[in-house]
Amino acid sequence: MQSVPETVAPPGGREGWSKLGRRPVWAVSVAIGVVVVVLAALFDFWATTFVVGATENAPLVLAAFGFALLYRLTGLLNVAYAETITLGAYFAVWMNNSWGLGFYVVLLPAGLLAGVLSVVTYLAIFRFAKGRRVGNLEMIVISFGLSIFLQHALQFVFGYRRRAFDIPPPNTIEVFGVGVSSFRLLALASVAALTTIVYQFIQRTSYGLQIRALASNEGLAQASGVRPLRVTILIWFVAGLCGGLAGVFYGAGASVESFLGIDELLLILLVVLVGGIWGLLGVVVVGMATGVALTGITLEYGNSLYAELVLVVAFLGVLKFRGRRLTDGSKV
Amino acid sequence: MNLDWLDAFLIFGAFKVVEIMGLGLLVHLQLGLTRVANFGVVGFWGVGLYAFGVAHLKVDWPFGDPYQFLVCAAIATLLAAVAGLVVGWLISDLDDDGTLVGTLGFATIVVILATTQQGLTGGALGLGGLGFPYDFGRVKTHEFTWLLITAALVALIFAYAWRVYRTPHGRLLIAVGANEALARSLGKSATAARLRMMAVTSGAMGLLGAMHGVMVRSLEINSLDVSVTLAALAALILGGTARVFGAVVGVLLTVALFDIVIQFYLPIPDGWNTQALPVAREAVFGAVIVLVLIFRPQGLLGQMRRPALMRRLHGDW
Repeated sequence: MQSVPETVAPPGGREGWSKLGRRPVWAVSVAIGVVVVVLAALFDFWATTFVVGATENAPLVLAAFGFALLYRLTGLLNVAYAETITLGAYFAVWMNNSWGLGFYVVLLPAGLLAGVLSVVTYLAIFRFAKGRRVGNLEMIVISFGLSIFLQHALQFVFGYRRRAFDIPPPNTIEVFGVGVSSFRLLALASVAALTTIVYQFIQRTSYGLQIRALASNEGLAQASGVRPLRVTILIWFVAGLCGGLAGVFYGAGASVESFLGIDELLLILLVVLVGGIWGLLGVVVVGMATGVALTGITLEYGNSLYAELVLVVAFLGVLKFRGRRLTDGSKV
Repeated sequence: MNLDWLDAFLIFGAFKVVEIMGLGLLVHLQLGLTRVANFGVVGFWGVGLYAFGVAHLKVDWPFGDPYQFLVCAAIATLLAAVAGLVVGWLISDLDDDGTLVGTLGFATIVVILATTQQGLTGGALGLGGLGFPYDFGRVKTHEFTWLLITAALVALIFAYAWRVYRTPHGRLLIAVGANEALARSLGKSATAARLRMMAVTSGAMGLLGAMHGVMVRSLEINSLDVSVTLAALAALILGGTARVFGAVVGVLLTVALFDIVIQFYLPIPDGWNTQALPVAREAVFGAVIVLVLIFRPQGLLGQMRRPALMRRLHGDW
């Protein structure tokens, strides 16, 4: 294979992948982290808000990270990504309920299966539609239709009723004096691990370079020897893996039903659109901040719906303020 | 009026068909003409439903029906139109992705407000007590009359959609939908045209929501479901987004097929009506959207008739 030009994704460009590695983004993230730790150490309310917010909403960050990968690299706002989340949860609860496998045992296989199904939807629907020159708006509507179809068809496969994991109560671990379940901490650790691995993969490996090349200029990448199908399949698989794992964590925190993914989709979309302008790291930071804000408002006013309302309004305000630059900036 | 021959459930099924037909026609104006993909149809419809219900039940009006109904329906229409203006302004400089998020976000805000403002809306428990603005005696007669009134309203929406193609405003909408940059470069205000269209269509969606409230006589949070948006969108896409008759044909082949033909005339097993059939209905509607957009994006009726119309008006070019 010929070498891919190293100039794909200009460092100074608003839309460059290399923004992930720019010092200001890291510096801001580290500064925020230090402030969070200091506040959490000094004040009970902040400790509860940060610890519960970061751990309870770790699946949101994971799901947003996967969605951002797909959105930035393919430019497709795939509503059916919600069902990748749902499928991850369904696969895990099915393996757990049917074969008695433990939560930690089913976690990775469920994520992998969700990744495979993500690839199947790409090959069977989106690639086929692209081949027939379906426009961007129609692609979004197709993903909406696919999402609705899967939400309801899954009920015929996995049943109408909600399903729950059959697992012993998780251990509780104290962080800044706040009790957190081991599942939640594992979710947070998974977010940290996966984001680091995927970031390093995209930045440091030849496959990552191919991904960036393909996203920046498909024609030039193909001329340089990049095989678009293989790389695109890889993107869809990694995004599906992230979504599937997020689904397992969502399911373990409550119960599993066919609307699990779609109920979370709006926040995921907003986090990706707003955080995406600072690259994948921006998605992680905004996702984490969203989780903390959700918890803080819920603790203050005693109703999670108010928290969601405030955040949706705030995000829509940002969307209006940034305008088209926002959605353009969230893509490569 | 002797309506013993008519099943009460059939009246409600026909009402749903007429209602979704109206919504489909309005989505046609948004998506087919102006290329604004509104995924929050249920939000505008819900604003009308809840504004009407709250105004009717919570305000002590000095007059009774039918004036009370007319005033409350006007409030519902006005509020939905204002919501349309706000959402239209919000998405005015966004691309398709931003429009999806903006309209979906609006629908979510409506559902959250309807759920949390229990003092006004009844929250998750809902609110009963709505009624028909007339009294003929029998409930079935009331419902049948309401079906006819709603059908007349939808006929008016159809006439508006049919007529708008022949107006300067309609031609501007088509131009904005086809090539916004070109329309702007010719000095046309694309934003003003879109805002006007959003206000009119959203107001009409709100009025249909108010009509729904009267028919079901209650406010139920479960009615603010994505199925409202889905049914209108699936029907329009199947019939053809660019044709006025697209919504009519599409609704007859989707909603009428499921909610009347299959539900009342096919020998389906007991119990399917409550669970399996509604789930299958939504799955089929989703599949219809995917398959039609891939294999026949212009729907069953095909491309817009505007070129033929233009030829008739201005001769060949």
